[in-house]
Amino acid sequence: MEQACLQEWSRYTPQQRFTRYAWFALAALVVSWALGSVDIIWAWVWDAPAQMGDLFRRMVPPDPTHLGAILEALWDTVNLATIATALAVVLALPVAYIAAQNTTPNAVTLWIGRFILVSSRSVNTIIWALLFVAIFGPGIVAGIVAIMFRSIGFLGKLLGEAIEEIDPKPVEALQACGASHFKVVLYAIVPQVMPTFFAVSILRWDINLRESTVLGLVGAGGIGVILQGAIDTFNWQEVSMVLLAIIALVVVGEVVSSYLRRRIL
Amino acid sequence: MLTIKGLVKRYGAGDPVLKDLELEVPGEEVVSVIGSSGAGKSTLLRCINRLVEPTSGTITLNGTDFTALGKRDLRIGRRRIGMVFQSFNLVDRLTVMENVQSGRLGYISTWAALTRRYPKQDIQRAFELMERVGIAHYADKRADELSGGERQRVGVIRALMQQPEILLADEPTASLDPKTSEQIMTLLRDLARELKLPVIINIHNVNEARQFSDRIVGMRYGRIIFDDLPAALTDDAMHEIYSGIPHADRQVEGEAA
Amino acid sequence: MTTATDHWRKPPFIANPVLRYGLYAAVLVYIVVTLSTLPIDWARVSQGLTRAGRIFGGAFPPSFERSGLLIDGFMESLKIAILATVGGVLLSVPIAFMAARNIAALPVYYLGRAIIVVARSFHPVIVAIIFVKAVGFGPFAGILTLVVYSIGFVAKLLAERIEEIDPGPVEAMKAAGASFLPTLFYAVFPQIMQRQIGLSIYQLDSNLRASAVVGIVGAGGIGATLANAFGRYDYDFALAITMVIVGVILISEAVSGAIRKRIA
Repeated sequence: MEQACLQEWSRYTPQQRFTRYAWFALAALVVSWALGSVDIIWAWVWDAPAQMGDLFRRMVPPDPTHLGAILEALWDTVNLATIATALAVVLALPVAYIAAQNTTPNAVTLWIGRFILVSSRSVNTIIWALLFVAIFGPGIVAGIVAIMFRSIGFLGKLLGEAIEEIDPKPVEALQACGASHFKVVLYAIVPQVMPTFFAVSILRWDINLRESTVLGLVGAGGIGVILQGAIDTFNWQEVSMVLLAIIALVVVGEVVSSYLRRRIL
Repeated sequence: MLTIKGLVKRYGAGDPVLKDLELEVPGEEVVSVIGSSGAGKSTLLRCINRLVEPTSGTITLNGTDFTALGKRDLRIGRRRIGMVFQSFNLVDRLTVMENVQSGRLGYISTWAALTRRYPKQDIQRAFELMERVGIAHYADKRADELSGGERQRVGVIRALMQQPEILLADEPTASLDPKTSEQIMTLLRDLARELKLPVIINIHNVNEARQFSDRIVGMRYGRIIFDDLPAALTDDAMHEIYSGIPHADRQVEGEAA
Repeated sequence: MTTATDHWRKPPFIANPVLRYGLYAAVLVYIVVTLSTLPIDWARVSQGLTRAGRIFGGAFPPSFERSGLLIDGFMESLKIAILATVGGVLLSVPIAFMAARNIAALPVYYLGRAIIVVARSFHPVIVAIIFVKAVGFGPFAGILTLVVYSIGFVAKLLAERIEEIDPGPVEAMKAAGASFLPTLFYAVFPQIMQRQIGLSIYQLDSNLRASAVVGIVGAGGIGATLANAFGRYDYDFALAITMVIVGVILISEAVSGAIRKRIA
């Protein structure tokens, strides 16, 4: 009897095994439900590799005819991202201030601050862009405002957390000196939050550079407008040229932002 | 002259941390407050400039009742009380000069504070004091580049920049090595004499307390149980200050009541 | 005693004055040039306020009348997210092994890294619009897009995790004479399994977010419903959809956070 026990070994107890199988079964069920009911024409799926290959063949070689216009749009894209980031940084400061528990004046302002952060963060840039294109008309202004609205939540959240994590001791020391509230913020809180402030701003600029490449697809300016135009006219060689330009922009953005991070921090 | 009368501090509904405390610090003497952790030394010091809000009692500094001050007057009042902290409480990322000048924040305009254009006489005084303690050449360094002893010198000068009427030091040497700790204590004593400034020092090291102060106050569980010249601090007195555990002490009180 | 100096200035951020003022000038020139050359149609922008008024007037109260459409769109987004996560995670495993320096041979390693870099470079919306053109409108394009998106994230982090594994068990297995695949199963998988499950759940959450967006350019799901509502000036329906998207995102973030906390 004892020997029989020792001859069998399994990794899991029966109950563990049961829970594991239950999870697997549930996952399989969910996936087969999704697979069975999703609205896909399967003939297209089997055809997809051929279609992709065909599209790819039509894209090479990239066509540099409109390189001038592409570079100009690229420059607009950079400016769009930069201006929007700068504006968002300025607007995020007061939001972070009232959304941080240790600096917010009262419970109402804390609640307002958090509401601004959540609503800004949970709506994607593209959805903001749809709204602002409807308001300001197609163009770069809608893009700037859309990026700005999305960035305030991101910057405000991270800055607010940085404010909540500061060392409270210098604050106490300056209060003991008889400094006013504003001066305490200026001398004890601002210097402590400064590194995060720069790091977060640079990070967001990098993200915004990527996001601003797609704004044009909903009409909100930048390189995406040219991409959309080329796709609409089936000018696939120009499409690939624009895609190369976007990769270059993203890489340059990453290099610049990592250089700035190293220089400033 | 600092007069504390009937000071009580109670956190929440628990036992008070300070129990009906009386203390008078006249003129220019260095007073050391000793006692085990939890005796209420730090709370006592923080009640004086109301970093901790006293529950009841009065604290009078040269005729001003600090417990009665409103928010704005308290700020002006705090300029008259310098404070030195155990962990220095400097702003690490600011220069030494900015840290020193932050002692003047209660006096200068917001614009001057923002642009770092400090009044000429403030800068002159800062350099004089920094030279006095040997850190003038660090004026442009960031505070976190300095050693512990140098940082505490910055802390002391920040407090002196206020031109205070009294200096409070909360365990000013507890984060320092013995040699540096002695230097800082010497400095506090000498500066107190030069500037004719009363000083209250919370301190753990009884030998330093004996060596550097004019008077020693012993606290136990929120009460002052010893108050005399350093020479009078006998072994028996020491034993009484440092013996027992709070719980036992409370029980004795309960039985007595 | 010498009289102390009464002058002090904070040391400037950039010590070299030429560089400092050069930088100030450059920033100033940049601002002036960009603001004057940006292609902005001020006349159109100035109508913004009245238009905003009209849009918000039209959006309130949000309309849930066509909730059938809303639910269909949302369910489609959910299916897209689930299938893309399964596909993306399954594909990520071999790619991650290819892109792990301690497992793969050098040429394979470069191929793996290249796949990850390309997958990460493009915003999902751009990937989506290409797939829409290649395989047509609808959820299939959305699934392909998010598979690419998932590979970019999951394969990258998984590869980093694989590079950090403890080499001890691998050596022990090799010493016991095990071949490549059993070594993988017994010495490597147990070390990365937990991370992989956490990543998958996180990716399901982020695919759900992204699926709302890629729909706007025609890749199916709730995003398509939203884009349609906007296109037809049904602002009250659009607001209802946006509210549902935000609500679902908040819930899915909370759920995925809770699950990952329990697993970890």
